[in-house]
Order: sequence, then C-alpha cells, then structure tokens
Amino acid sequence: MKKILVALCAAAVLTVGASAQAKVSLKVGDNLPDRTSGMGLVFDTINCEFKAANPGVDMTIESYPDQPWQEKVKIYVAAKQLPDINKYWSFPGMFKPLIDANLVQPLDKPAFDKLGYLPGALESNVYNGKLYGLPLTADCWVIYYNKKLFRDAGVEVPKTVEDMMASVAKFKAKGIIPAVTDGKDAWPLVETFDNLAERINGNFGRVDAALKRTAKFTDPDFVQAATLLQKMATSGLFADDLLVSDYGASRNLFGQGKAAMYFMGTWEVGLATDANFSQEFRDNVDAFKFPVLKGGKGKIDDLVAWYGGNIFVNATGKNKDLGVKYLDFLAKRWPALAWEKQAGYPAQKVVARATDTPLAKTLLAIGADAKSTSGTPSLDRSNAEFKDAIQKAVGELVASIITPEEFCKKVDAAAAKAAK
Amino acid sequence: MKRLFNNRPVIAALVLPGIAIMVFAMIIPIGFSVYYSLTDWSGIGPFKWVGLDNYTEILTSDSTFWRSLSNVGVLILVTVFVQNPVAFALAALLSRIKPRWSRFFRTIYFIPAVLSVVVIAALWVNIMNPTFGILNKSLSLFSSAPVTTSWLGKPATALGSEIWIIVWQGFGWALLFFYSGLMTLPVELEEAAKIDGAGWWMTYTRVILPYLFPIISAVIVIDVISSLKQMEIIFLTTGGGPGDLTQFTAVYLYQKAFVAGQYGYGNGLSILFVVVAVGLTLVVQRIFRTEGEVK
Repeated sequence: MKKILVALCAAAVLTVGASAQAKVSLKVGDNLPDRTSGMGLVFDTINCEFKAANPGVDMTIESYPDQPWQEKVKIYVAAKQLPDINKYWSFPGMFKPLIDANLVQPLDKPAFDKLGYLPGALESNVYNGKLYGLPLTADCWVIYYNKKLFRDAGVEVPKTVEDMMASVAKFKAKGIIPAVTDGKDAWPLVETFDNLAERINGNFGRVDAALKRTAKFTDPDFVQAATLLQKMATSGLFADDLLVSDYGASRNLFGQGKAAMYFMGTWEVGLATDANFSQEFRDNVDAFKFPVLKGGKGKIDDLVAWYGGNIFVNATGKNKDLGVKYLDFLAKRWPALAWEKQAGYPAQKVVARATDTPLAKTLLAIGADAKSTSGTPSLDRSNAEFKDAIQKAVGELVASIITPEEFCKKVDAAAAKAAK
Repeated sequence: MKRLFNNRPVIAALVLPGIAIMVFAMIIPIGFSVYYSLTDWSGIGPFKWVGLDNYTEILTSDSTFWRSLSNVGVLILVTVFVQNPVAFALAALLSRIKPRWSRFFRTIYFIPAVLSVVVIAALWVNIMNPTFGILNKSLSLFSSAPVTTSWLGKPATALGSEIWIIVWQGFGWALLFFYSGLMTLPVELEEAAKIDGAGWWMTYTRVILPYLFPIISAVIVIDVISSLKQMEIIFLTTGGGPGDLTQFTAVYLYQKAFVAGQYGYGNGLSILFVVVAVGLTLVVQRIFRTEGEVK
C-alpha cells in the first residue's frame, strides 16, 4: 500500500512538474482596460485564438489607461520588468528611446509587407532601416457628433470654425454641452491646435519646421491658432470642466447624450456599437471633418492623421521568439476582426461591408477623401520634455492663465531646448 | 539577562535588522537618487553626468517648483490656522454633549478619513462638476442665473477647492486627536479654574489649551508632514492644473521623472524636497520642544 502511495505521489509530482514546464507564460501590457467592447474585446478574442492555436502558452494581461500605461512602461524599463509584448505608440519621442536602449525586437519587414498595410503604415515603425513594431490603427482627428442633439438645437453640421462657434448659443439654450474632449490629459487640445494652425496656414509642414527651427512657434499663424483655441474655450464651446475632464469622463458625457460634439480620433469608431450607451445614441452618432476657417489656407480634406498605436516585442524578454510569433498571428487576424467589431480603424486594408455602421462608413470616407495628411502630431514629434511643456502650456492657454503670445513663446522655448 | 543585554555582539545582532532595513529602504535609495540627480537620464537608455545643473535649474529658473512649494506652504497654513481651530472648537462641543450624540457626530466627521482617496477624489470631482455637480445645482437655487463655476478648472478657485477637499478628508483626524485629549482632561482642573473665577474663555485659553499642548503640537507636526506628502488628491483631480496653479511638489517630481522623461531632474527635485521636508519638520519640532520646555 505504502509503495503504491509513494508511486502515486511521485507520478503526481512529475505530472505537475511536466505541465508547469510545458506552460509558457507570455506577459502582455496594453492601454485597453475595457475588455467588454472595442479594441480590448478584439485583443481578448485574438489572445484566446492564439492560446487555442498554441496549447502550451498562457497569457497574462495587464491594462491601464493611456497615461498611466506610458508611465508604467518607464517604471518597468527602469526595473527591467518590461512585459514580453507591449501595446505602445510609434511616435519618435516615445518609441525611439526604447529602440536606442535595445529593448525592442526588430521584425522581418518583408513578411509583414504582404499583410495589406496602408501606405506609410509600416514605415511609421521603421527606425535605422529596421521595422520595430506593428502599427495597429490609422488615426485621424475628427469631430464626432450626436445627430439628435444637433436636430434638437437646430444646428447644421458646421462647415467652418465660425459656424461651430456660432452654434454654442443654440446648444446652451437647450441645456446641451456643445463639445467635450479629454482636456485633463491636454493632448487632444494640442491636436486641435495643430488642426487650427493648418486651417490657417494650409501647410502641415510648418509644425515640423518650427521643431527643426527653420520656423518659429511665435510666427503669426501659430499665434492665430492659439488665439482661436483660447477663444473656443472661453466662448463656452467646450464643457466648463474641460481641464478636469479626462478621457473616460468626456467620452461618457458624449455617449450619454449630454454633449453634442466630441473631439477625438478615429479609434473611437466603436462608439456606434458600444453597448454601454443607449440605442438612441448609437443610432445618432456620426462624425464630420474638422471645419475650415474663413479666409484660411487649409482645405477641408487636409487631414490631421497619423499611425500612432503600435505593438512591439521586448527584445530582452525570455519569450521574444514567441512574442514575434504572436505579432505575426495578430497581424493576420487584427484588421478583419477590428473592423468586424467596429473597434478601430485598422492600419491595414479592410473591405467596407453593408453591415458597417453609418459612423464607420463616414470615417472610411473621411480617410479616403484626404488630400494631404499631417503625420505625427506636434507633441509627439520631439522629446518627452517638449511634450510635457506643450501640454502644460496648452492647459494654461485654455484656462486663460497665459495669453496666446505667451503660449507661443513657451512652446517655442521648449522647441528650441529640445532641438539642442 | 542583564549580562546578555550588555553584551555588544548581542546588541549588534538585535540592532542589525533595523539598521539593515533603514539602509536598504532609505539610505541606498536616497544615495541612488542623489547619483541620478547629477545626470540627465531620461529613465531609458544612456545618460551623461551634468553635475549640479539640475539643481541650478530647479533653484534659479523653475517657477513650477517654487509654486509647488508655496502651495504646500498655503496648505500647511490653512490646516494649522483654520482646520485645527475649527476641529478643536467642534471637539470641545462634542465633549460637552450627551455621549450618544457625541458618538454619532464623531462617526459622521470621521467618515471622510476612512474613505479611499480615489473615492474622495471622484466624489468631489463630481460634486464640483460645473454642469451636473450638486454644488452648482445647490448654489443655483439662491441665484437668478445658473451657477456654472468650474471649481477645479478655474484659476481663481482651483487651489481653494483642492485645499477644501484635503482639509475635508483630514478634518476627522484632527477632531479625533483633540476629542481624545479633551476626554483625558482631569475634572479637577476645570473645577479649580471655576473656583478661581475663570470664565469659559479663560478656562480654555489659560487652562485647557496649555494642558493639551503636547497633542496640539503632535497634530501640527502631522499636518506639516501630510501637507508636504500631499499627492494623491491632486494627482486624481487636477493633476496640478490648470497650468501649475494646484501643483504640489510630490506630484511635480513624479510628473517630471515619469511623464516628462526627466528622471535625473525629477531626482534633483526629490532630493531638494527631502531637504525641505526634513528641515521644516525639524524646525517645527524645535519650536514645540522649546515651547514645551518653557511651559
């Protein structure tokens, strides 16, 4: 009896040991805390499929909102605990320091070239001639709107910035917040500043020129853009709590039908299918192009657009080969699944379907209409210090703590410092 | 036993774990922090030695650093000179009413102190929401036009609103300390004062307050330390904005190190912050020690 027990125990230990040995745990970090809808749901679906296709693999996911995740990556890098796979951003100011520190596994570009990436998409992740990450979405800056609230207030879709400003009184008379965005994190305000500057000067290259010091942020076009942005805030276009309203709060205000417009990127295509919001809202959500400015040089089809979100493999992780295998799997499943769930605007070609939501169709049309695009937004074209400086300054600008001229001086000083 | 505790190796063995914890948890991290504060490290990749450049920049041209310190100073002044007198007066009142009611009100006042900081921040962000917040809705009842003040977003009200939230959260602690002190007050002391003809004002200012001096000084030291450490409420509500109007040093150094990618600079801020915090705490303790000795 004793011998049998010993044999059974030994067998059990060996079995547990063997299964523990067989399971490889792939750690993934991302900025998708909501796993019930949108991109979070798509990622979970892909992860399940990947695990089913690779029985010995387990996956541990940790998710945070954008800003905390960006901070967490820095802490993980300092602590040498970066996950095996990371959803991140391809912007030079954020991605290049990781590449320079040899933390990012290079990928085989020719293999991914065959997977239908949009022109320039993979190139946005190429540094020093090597592909380091896979772009996930094509991001365009648009204005979402609630058709019912527009009807209720008797407002037409604005063709010009002036029309948009004129609608404020009509919305307010009906107790509707005209527009919301994530003002607490400030970056959407900088995107809007970029868009306004282009609507004035008609040239997306001006921002890059100012960062490379062949132009200055104190030039009249930028001062005019800053003046307009400040006016948008002081005239009541944005919610009164603009600077304390974060991503989730502003999105919820829009989704709950309290705000008529929502300044955000095309990754929010899932608004039209988000079960957290009412059917009435989902039926009425749509988007329009950032309006032009009377007398401005910018055209309606000049689009602030970039490839932002990406995914990369930790080159120092023990599972880097498996990580590359996961990226390959993801690249094949992502575009169809993301579009099917209307969770994002993929950086790979997708086929429009009859079942697409009106919002998805509008966003596809906005992308297709684009005559020129901005590339990486100003705040992500330089280093983290410049990004922090312009975000802080834009907060001061919309709170009217500083004048547009002072804002431009501050941004120019930060650009000069970053260029050294 | 006595011989055992006089034995130097035994003393060393007993003290060693404590010293080791202090060295690993405090001395070494501070040492690393000093080292990185002398570099331009972004937190990722290589870095170079910049000597005292970070300190020079912080002290000579970083207005946000000075603003954050001045906000800490304002918070200290408000907690010491506004929160504490109110908490003391209320504690005195609670010590005079029926125990049943006293218990009830003490529980009410202490609730904010046991709530999670995240809950408190979310609660007040919603209460102070300009459009849907209960504060503006209530004020609108007494106004001809709807009140739409963005309490946390408007430069004129942002710092005051932050300080209100922090004081609201910490009020229960001050009340509890003062109430506990008042309950230990010997009855004879008050009776003797009455016999000597002292009124209630004289009794409180000349008898009870001096008696409670050790508690008052402890509360003030705690106020100073917690004001210096203040981070969570700011981080979760305004993030230091608008601009840097509600910036506090603990939030600022975190943002510099982990948001702006200036890890070296952030460490410089943290070292200066440690110096200021230790210096201020020593000064406060010194003031009260001298006062205590005089008494």
